[in-house]
Formats: sequence, C-alpha cells, structure tokens
Amino acid sequence: MKHFLSVLSIELFKIRKSKVIWLTVIAASLAPLMASFFTLILKYPGWMKKAGLLGAQAQVAGAASWPDYLNLYGQMLAVGGILIFGFITSWIFGREYTDGTIKDFLVLPYSRVIVVLAKFSAMFITSILISLYIVLFGCLLGWFIGLSGWSGEVLIQGIGTITAATFMTIMLSTPTAFFASYGKGYLAPIGFVILLLIFSQIIAAADLGEFFPWSIPALYSGISEVSLELTWVHLLLIFCPSILGVLSTLEWWRYADHD
Amino acid sequence: MNTVLQTKNLSKSYQGFQAVQDVSLKIEKGEIYGFIGLNGAGKTTVIRMLLGLIRPSEGTSYLQGEKVHLKHHHLWEKVGYLVETPHFYPELTVQENLEVYKKLRLLSHPDAVTNVMAQLHLTKYAQVKAGNLSLGNAQRLGIAKALLPQPEILILDEPVNGLDPAGIIEIRKLLQKLAQDQGVTILISSHLLSEIAKIATKIGIIHQGKLIQEFESQELKQLLHQRLVIDTRHNQSALSKLSAAGYSPHLNKTGSIEIRESVAVQHPENISRLLVDVGFPPAQITIEEEDLESYFLEVIKNEEGD
Repeated sequence: MKHFLSVLSIELFKIRKSKVIWLTVIAASLAPLMASFFTLILKYPGWMKKAGLLGAQAQVAGAASWPDYLNLYGQMLAVGGILIFGFITSWIFGREYTDGTIKDFLVLPYSRVIVVLAKFSAMFITSILISLYIVLFGCLLGWFIGLSGWSGEVLIQGIGTITAATFMTIMLSTPTAFFASYGKGYLAPIGFVILLLIFSQIIAAADLGEFFPWSIPALYSGISEVSLELTWVHLLLIFCPSILGVLSTLEWWRYADHD
Repeated sequence: MNTVLQTKNLSKSYQGFQAVQDVSLKIEKGEIYGFIGLNGAGKTTVIRMLLGLIRPSEGTSYLQGEKVHLKHHHLWEKVGYLVETPHFYPELTVQENLEVYKKLRLLSHPDAVTNVMAQLHLTKYAQVKAGNLSLGNAQRLGIAKALLPQPEILILDEPVNGLDPAGIIEIRKLLQKLAQDQGVTILISSHLLSEIAKIATKIGIIHQGKLIQEFESQELKQLLHQRLVIDTRHNQSALSKLSAAGYSPHLNKTGSIEIRESVAVQHPENISRLLVDVGFPPAQITIEEEDLESYFLEVIKNEEGD
C-alpha cells in the first residue's frame, strides 16, 4: 500500500504541474458556459428570434428548468467525457513514453502492477474532479440564470444520472491506456478516442447504441428522446472493455519489450 | 572474487534480426567494465536486457547472483542506471524531478536530493525547469538520477554524452571514486573510446551483437601495437638501407618510415646508429603507440575479414 500511495501521490503531483491537464480543464469549462448560454436563450425567447440558427441549436437544452439543465450535463459528460477522460488517460500513460520517463517506472524495487494501478487511480481521481468542477460550475451558472423547478428530488435525480453516466464513461477510458502504452505516446490513444466518439454517435444514430459500450452512457443520460433503462447486459457491455483495458495495459507493462 | 553482474549466453533477436548473440559477461565487485562497440553493435540491447526492460530470446542475466526476472523486484533497490539519453519531466524543476524519482524509488534519506545535486553541481539549477537545461546539465541530471539510490551497481549507457571536457573529467573522477572507495560495480558503455581507456578496469568489445574480445585494462598496453616512426632527409634511400639490414620498414601516409617489428621498437638506438652509419642520420625518431581507438578499429576490421 505504501508503494501504491507513493506512486499515486507522484502521479497527482505531475497532473497538478501539467499544462495539458489545466488546458483540458479550461476546454471543459466551455461545456457549462455553452449549456448555460443555450439555457439563457431558452429562458428569454425574445433572444431566440434574434439569435436565428443559434436558437434552433438551443432547443437541445430543452426547457429553461433545473431538470432539463442537469439532464444536459449528464449528456455532455457522457459524450464529451469520452474525449476529456480519454485525453487525461492518454496523457497519464502516453507522456511517460513521449518524455522517455517510462524507464523510471520499469526498474523499480516493486511490481509494475502497482505503477499501472496507481496511474489508473490517478486518472480516475482527476476525471472525477474535472467532472465535479464542470457540474459545480454549471450549477453556479444555473443559479445565476435563475432556472425554475429546483427541488431536492430534482437535484438528487439529476446528480444521480450525471454520476452514473460519468462513472461509466470513465471506466470506458481504460482501453485508451493500452493504446497509449502500445503506441508509445499520445497519437495512438487520441486517435482511438476520436474514433470511439465518432462510432458512438454513428452507432447511436443507427439505433444500435445500446449494444455499443461507448454509446450507452449518453443514451442512459437521455440524449435520445427516451432514456435507456440500464440492464445487466448494458453493465456487462461496459464492464468488459473496461476490465480488458486495465488487464491489457497491465500485461503490456509487465511482459512487453520496452525498447 | 565476488561476481556482481553476469550474463550467460545472452541473445536477443527481433523478427529474424540477431541484435545480440551469446554474450557472456562477468563483472566483479568494484570493477569498472567498459563496453565498447559501434552504433547498433548491441551495447544498449545488452544493457536493456540486464535491466529487465526487454526479455532475452535466450540466456540469462544475474545481479548479485540472482536471476533478473520480472518478479525479482528487490534486485533494483541498489541499482542506478542511465540508458541512452537522460529522461525527466520537462515542466518540473531539477529538484522536483529528483524528488519525484526519490519518492518513486522509496528512498528515505532526507538529504538525498540535496547531496546528489551538490555532487553533480546542479544546486544552482535546482529551481530551473528541466526542459530548459543545457545538454550537459541534462546529462548531469540523468547521472544524478542514477546516483540517487546510492547504488551498489551502476549501469551507464553513454554517460558523458553532451558533457564538456571539464565535465567528462569530473564524471570520470566521480565514477572512479565510487568504484575504489565504495566498491560500486560499474558497467559503462560508450563510443568515446579514449574515455573508456582512461576509466575502465576491464574492457569488452561488442560487434554485430557478439562479444568479440574482453581484456583487463592492464593487458591493453600489451595488446596495443607500437611502431617506430623515423624521418631522415632521404626517407626512400634510408628505407632501402633498413630493408637491406633485415628490417621490414614501410612508408606511412605522411611519408615517414615506419617499423613495427619489436626488435626495432625495443632498440631504437640500433636503428639510429645504423642510419648514421649509412649516411642518413635520423632527423626524428619516435615510438608511437596505437590507442584504444585504433586497436578497436583493427579488431573490428579483422572480425569483418573473418
């Protein structure tokens, strides 16, 4: 445990010091800003007419109420999370290859398994913190806008959906770590993440989304008209690639030739 | 003697390409083993196998008598290493990089980072971001990382790359001190053969993946060829006289007379007397010794000729 905590604290320190992660946070801030902007347009329909096409896009946000607003955050984290959490994972694993520091992690007086698990934990913690920031920032903006329909029940339901969608999306980021390790850098995992995002949209549009793990969080959070009711099959579809991502990364770090 | 580092028939092939073949090394405690070879000869591949970064196709490596294996993590507790280029986090300062590495290696000595920075003259760069370091200071940071765990075994691949002449001397002295005073066993690979000749107590030549020659540094003197280089006013005529006297001289590229026979090298006074007697007194007569570089190139050439 001492070894694990030591590596975890190093990973979190590197994340804190990294420009890449802070740029990701800044980019992620655009989501609540856009959502609140669309909601603001919905709240003041007079603006919608003047806004023209923008008004049509704002319909995505539904009504200017807390249930719809929180629902929108669930969808944003489910879709945008593929990108955000994917970038974080690519960076945490890929940077060691790009900077050549991978050699520091492979000749240590403890198992490489500890290093990989600590890196996954750092990815998980960072992703949760960024999600929390997006939601809190969004809530703050929602409060400024003065949305209607606030209640404890709405909040619990909204936060519940957001949390579940976020966890599912974070779990589905683990295969990205394998691509970062196998591809020895950032390019392969970022390519993988972009492909996943494209496929998740195309497959969902073809009404097959509930069978594609990376489409499930968005469908669950209500991106289509009817929210997907999660069954054990869906959970299994999410669990399998997630665990495969962890195991393949572990095996790669342990057994591959690190030239 | 106490064998600290050993490889037995170490081989590595990549999709039909034999990078390393049957390399067997034995390095004793406190020895500085100089590993020399051309680019792509297999030096770094051997080092990577020793560190468990790549798995050998055949053969085994041992550190302190224990097999290098994925599960034998404790082996690395007292091993410091620098493979090829130094690596660090560019956005972290020199001190932060060393603190991170110290934590990663689970080192408890509170002054370990301060001491190693002082040892490598990095203290004044402690707060400089590693990405902004000069090539020489980046190399010093790489060596500092290798020395941080106070290793008993030090594996250094091209450690003096990028260092200025003063830096090279400084690192040489540091490594010699570590080996002599603390019994640190050092494997050092370099293409700077003059540096290896100065520092190593044992030298191994690797070529096309094979260890083709290994010798103690005391033996080097005997292995290096000596030659007598002579200049007279009429080198061509003097050459004929020397040939007539039973020597085997030849003119070298600069037009001087060269004799490699030991009878001539060991008794240059006889040659000098002979030339005076035949009317071609030497204007200059010197004994030149082949350096490790020339010897290495000759060994490689012979190997390729075989």
